[in-house]
Amino acid sequence: MLAEIFTPDLFASAIRMATPLALAAIGGTICERSGVVNIALEGMMLFGAFMGVVGAMFLGSAWAGVLVAIMSGMALGLIHAFASITLRTDQVVSGTAINILSLGLTGFLMEVIFGHPGTTDPVARLKPVFDISGPTEGALGTAWRWFDAIVLSYTPIVYFAIVVAIVGQWALFNTRWGLRLRSLGEHPRAADTVGISVVRGRYSAVIVSGALGGLAGANLTLEQVGSFTEGMTNARGFIALAANIFGRWTPAGSYGASLLFGFADALQIKLQLFRDVIRIPSQFFLMLPYVLTVIVLAGAVGRAVAPAAIGKPYEKG
Amino acid sequence: MTESMHEMTIRRLLAIVRELAVPIVSVVIAMVIGSIIMLISGFDPVAAFSALLKGSFGGGRQIGETMLRATPLMFTGLAVAYGFRAGLFNIGAEGQLFMGGLSAAWLGIVLAGLPRPLNIVLMILAGAAIGAAWAFIPALLKARVGAHEVITTMMFTYIGRYIVSWLVTGPLKAPGQIPQTDVLPTESTLPKLHEVTAFLPISRAHLGFAIAVVLAMFVWWVLKYTSLGYESRAVGYNPWASETGGISVSATTVKALCISGALAGLAGVTEVMGVHLRLFDQFSPGFGFTGIAVALLAKNNPIGVIAAAILFGALSAGGGTMQLEAEVPQKVIFVIQALIIFLVAAEQIARWIIGRASREGVEHAG
Repeated sequence: MLAEIFTPDLFASAIRMATPLALAAIGGTICERSGVVNIALEGMMLFGAFMGVVGAMFLGSAWAGVLVAIMSGMALGLIHAFASITLRTDQVVSGTAINILSLGLTGFLMEVIFGHPGTTDPVARLKPVFDISGPTEGALGTAWRWFDAIVLSYTPIVYFAIVVAIVGQWALFNTRWGLRLRSLGEHPRAADTVGISVVRGRYSAVIVSGALGGLAGANLTLEQVGSFTEGMTNARGFIALAANIFGRWTPAGSYGASLLFGFADALQIKLQLFRDVIRIPSQFFLMLPYVLTVIVLAGAVGRAVAPAAIGKPYEKG
Repeated sequence: MTESMHEMTIRRLLAIVRELAVPIVSVVIAMVIGSIIMLISGFDPVAAFSALLKGSFGGGRQIGETMLRATPLMFTGLAVAYGFRAGLFNIGAEGQLFMGGLSAAWLGIVLAGLPRPLNIVLMILAGAAIGAAWAFIPALLKARVGAHEVITTMMFTYIGRYIVSWLVTGPLKAPGQIPQTDVLPTESTLPKLHEVTAFLPISRAHLGFAIAVVLAMFVWWVLKYTSLGYESRAVGYNPWASETGGISVSATTVKALCISGALAGLAGVTEVMGVHLRLFDQFSPGFGFTGIAVALLAKNNPIGVIAAAILFGALSAGGGTMQLEAEVPQKVIFVIQALIIFLVAAEQIARWIIGRASREGVEHAG
């Protein structure tokens, strides 16, 4: 049975499941490195997922849908930035409001546009980037099957998330942009003193995190499912925040932690296929990612250190 | 003597009016923005809001329906407000509510045949206890390792919902096709309000409403006059100073989040005992999450929670009529809720409008 569980597609599915979490988690990393807490990732993802479907439907292309999803996430990011940076609202409260807004707007627009609650009509999905056939026979065939599944089987956003993790990791610690971003979250007054605009820097970080949240939503609807269902993000935005913390506020760490959660999700889906052998109710499998998140958070937090100025509005003085 | 007392009363009244100005203006702005959204989407906001009003306060039955919907929101609103007072954000009230509902659905059957007052007391205590227990691990993780309660209580919400989903489809499932528990015997249910009072019109409102109102006053008293409440507020206001002042921040954190969980658990108990009389998967349409909006609108004041819960209860009760008569999707109410949270939290917007309005008032008067 182990050979039936640990197949190439289990690992491929783990990477696919990790993608929306990783994009949102890296969004969280960038946002929180600038000193702004973002629990609105859940809402950004949900809104992006919905608007992606709407965009794909009305503009007739999945790629256009992806763009609409990114812009929708950015719009919510702008609201979060305005509330928490300009109006100095409690950032957690503003994030909560965005999550509820997103839940309401997607539900409302669903009925306005599609005429019914629940699930939207299906739209065309983005196709896998590569379509190469390799050897099928013998040891070479087995090797190719693993390689094909784990390396070549993905849709564009899955690859893009890996690029974001690598480039983000490099940029955060090796570029002027990264240094400035980190200074905003660690010591905004010092940043201000040397002429870095705290407000502009934080605005752009929050909007970028919105873009990544929206893109994470596009991955769900325009790559994984092909339609939108109300509330379909199922707290992924919160799991992504945990991944960001577990990844110690770094893009590569966020991706790594998301892989762990993605693997848990892929594994629970796989195990459900063996329901007749493993006689455990499906709800316990579905619980797995949430239980794992609590365990990971319990183990990680003591050692992970958040940016010093996180959650504090900056007042020029 | 009388004059100065008079002045004091007036000053106090003015203070209350000033306190209420921001929430009230926020609600009005949210409704205006909601109307604009309806207009853009091709609906008639006037028809929508008049249907909403009719469905929520149009008669005895409708007012009862508003009270019915306000009941769980009062409990979850109190839960979130208590947490906020101690500096904790219990975003997972929904999960504690599910566990409270679960305990009532199970215990109500076990206690069949015992006197009704006894059952009501026992089921309420059990629901509060399990709600507190469901908040205990997040509370402990917060106090010990600093794991953020927003993430952990949210995770426990999903875990709790899956446990309920498993139990109503499996071990606790009543015979038949539908995944739900057995219906509770009468002695394990809450009486309707019109059954216990002679003067109220017939409606679905139940005793839970009265319990919630009394509890809100009790929580207000606890926060204001007991050392438990004082410690919670002190930790919420300034944990470092509290620790220096001899208050254990971690013990207070655990206590406060568990009290919050207990309050949320009661929402589940009264929904099961007063409304559905049994448990099923979708028995809460997100009362725990709406409780956040209730607490914020009430500015975490337990007495304010009563009023805020009635407002959101009215929105929910009238939502059905609105959808039916004005054909506006009920979900727009979530949008209005979110806008209210924004506006209450970002006081400046409402204050700016109030400032302009009062300046203009002065100019007109002058």
